[in-house]
Amino acid sequence: MLALLGILVCIIPAVHATTYKIGNQHNIKTIREGIALAKAGDTLLISAGIYREGNLVLEKALTLIGENFPVLDGENKYEILTVHAQHVVIQGFRFIDTGIASINDLAAIKILESKFVSILNNRFENTFFGIYFASSSDCLVDKNQLTANAEAEHQIGNGIHLWKCQRMTIRNNRIKGQRDGIYFEFVTDSHILNNYSEGNMRYGLHFMFSNDDEYRDNTFINNGAGVAVMYTKGVKMIHNTFEHNWGSSSYGLLLKDIRDSFVLDNVFKENSIGIFMEGSSRNEIKNNEFVKNGYALRLQASCDDNVFEHNNFRQNTFDLVTNGSLVLNTIKSNYWDRYEGYDLNKDKVGDVPYRPISLYGTVIERMPTAILLWRSFFVFLLDRAEKAIPVITPENLKDELPSMIPYDLR
Amino acid sequence: MKNSIVLMMLFSLVLVQACSVEPVPLVYGKDMCHTCKMTLVDTKFGAEILTKKGKVYTFDDMNCLLSFYTSDYEKRSNIQQVLVIDFTAPGKLIDASTAHFVRADAIRSPMASGVAACSTAEGLATHNTEWNGELLTWDEVVQKIK
Repeated sequence: MLALLGILVCIIPAVHATTYKIGNQHNIKTIREGIALAKAGDTLLISAGIYREGNLVLEKALTLIGENFPVLDGENKYEILTVHAQHVVIQGFRFIDTGIASINDLAAIKILESKFVSILNNRFENTFFGIYFASSSDCLVDKNQLTANAEAEHQIGNGIHLWKCQRMTIRNNRIKGQRDGIYFEFVTDSHILNNYSEGNMRYGLHFMFSNDDEYRDNTFINNGAGVAVMYTKGVKMIHNTFEHNWGSSSYGLLLKDIRDSFVLDNVFKENSIGIFMEGSSRNEIKNNEFVKNGYALRLQASCDDNVFEHNNFRQNTFDLVTNGSLVLNTIKSNYWDRYEGYDLNKDKVGDVPYRPISLYGTVIERMPTAILLWRSFFVFLLDRAEKAIPVITPENLKDELPSMIPYDLR
Repeated sequence: MKNSIVLMMLFSLVLVQACSVEPVPLVYGKDMCHTCKMTLVDTKFGAEILTKKGKVYTFDDMNCLLSFYTSDYEKRSNIQQVLVIDFTAPGKLIDASTAHFVRADAIRSPMASGVAACSTAEGLATHNTEWNGELLTWDEVVQKIK
């Protein structure tokens, strides 16, 4: 009986739902009219064309579907769409040219205090903020494309911006040229899946105070400062690619004050610094590929109880540098292409430990200008001498079980 | 003789000037916060500590500034001046000790301190009708914000 009632409750709104067609050739010419006319549960079908309607406010459960990408133009003045409702769907639009303001964060779509909102398959061009969520939950952002051309970081907002949200899913989006591609602040129990974040001014992904989230299968390439994950616990970072984040204060991944998190199965390729870790504890960094980075790992002395295991280190200028002498992290069973030891018992594990820290790396850490001497004969001699009799480099920082052959990770 | 004295005085003036410590404008998009390592981008927020030797530490938000200021990394006696960005005049540095502050949840600062600064009380008053925040002096900020 209860089940029957449930089904009835589900069907009744569906029966009453109306579809309104909007466009020049129809009776309803503007989206604003359509929104005013429609009731909760209705659908607005918007024909191709250009709509300049200033700021549209949506406060009921409507489905807005664009046919052949109708253009919603902010005329460089307005926030285009403000949503404050539940069960809203926005699909198939092209949002262009929002206003730029330094006090208010103008966005193409701003979603405030809403639930169950889906933003599907839209395009955003030159929007200040693209999709902006605040105090919302259980929303989906799928298959959107965002592109912006700004000259300075403070003239552009974030692509997909979330603030104080729960249970959100951000997937299959492409973000280019924003300030931060994806921005999470106080967002919990959420997923970031299979996104492509390229050429953003600051970070490809920016993550603060956001516990128990997962990001998986994303690509972060060519961003100003890479990816920053900060002041968070319980993050899963799995099977992502961090590539070509070059610059003096740039890194593939910055882990700042991170606890009880996982960095698994990722590729760090051609970054100034693969992973920069500061003030982070109890994290597992396993099965990652570090290739062709300036520094593969830069581990500050403020980190402890982290485990680095089963990673490949290949063709990095420096495998590991640190600024202290105390070793509180575990480094074991990694493959290091610089390892020069031997394996007499043929168990594919090197018989002598590998010391990933070179003397020269330590010198540079204290005196950056010494980079001038890189690849000189002098440095070669120093490193050899230090390998034989460690004086400056931390004696205990070593991989006791270095693998003789690289792991097959991807 | 007289000329040489004038020259000497001029020269010493140049020396004195060269040694004086001047605030350095924050470069948004380039400068990094000393505490949280983030690149500065929001021109409404930011701060700077200037040491007597002329070393400059940049910060993106008040809590980053204060976690550094209240630590012993740089002794108080070595600090020449603390400067903060005027919320109402983006990018402009003002002296922290005479600035007016407001703290409110509605203020979205880069590291979520929720503190904005201004050189005048009136400058913040118009914004604060919307924010309903708590007005603070520099000394109160140092005690309360972490």
